[in-house]
Amino acid sequence: MSHVAFNAPAPDFSLVDFTGKTVSLSDFRGKTDVLLIFNRGFM
Amino acid sequence: MAQLRQDFAEFEKRKTTLLVIGPENAAAFLKYWQENSLPFIGLSDPEHVVLKLYGQQINLFKFGRMPAQVLVDIKGIARFVHYGHDMTDIPKNSEMLALIDSLSAG
Repeated sequence: MSHVAFNAPAPDFSLVDFTGKTVSLSDFRGKTDVLLIFNRGFM
Repeated sequence: MAQLRQDFAEFEKRKTTLLVIGPENAAAFLKYWQENSLPFIGLSDPEHVVLKLYGQQINLFKFGRMPAQVLVDIKGIARFVHYGHDMTDIPKNSEMLALIDSLSAG
């Protein structure tokens, strides 16, 4: 399983949020930093 | 998650978007987000596409996914990558905020 490399471009992705809106990592490029939090599961 | 909600304004002040990604389905996300009034974005990844792309680890003995955090700067570069070794191995928000401050200063 791959790991993301430090100081390298973060792989882009698109997911749909629970309101049906598509969110891509690249949406934020040039706008804000992004903290990706991979949840351990909240259920 | 409660701690993230509490510190949300501090991240917002630093122009940092929080994206929480998890394996639960959209209905589970919606329920949890509504019940806890979470102000940040929650992304359901039931097919584990992004979870695999980013290499989130699964610990079969502990029956769950290990937490992971990646800070991506405004140019799309991963400036901090942390893969938790157990369920509690999560960087403190204060550490993340200090890191964001140091990046913006440097």
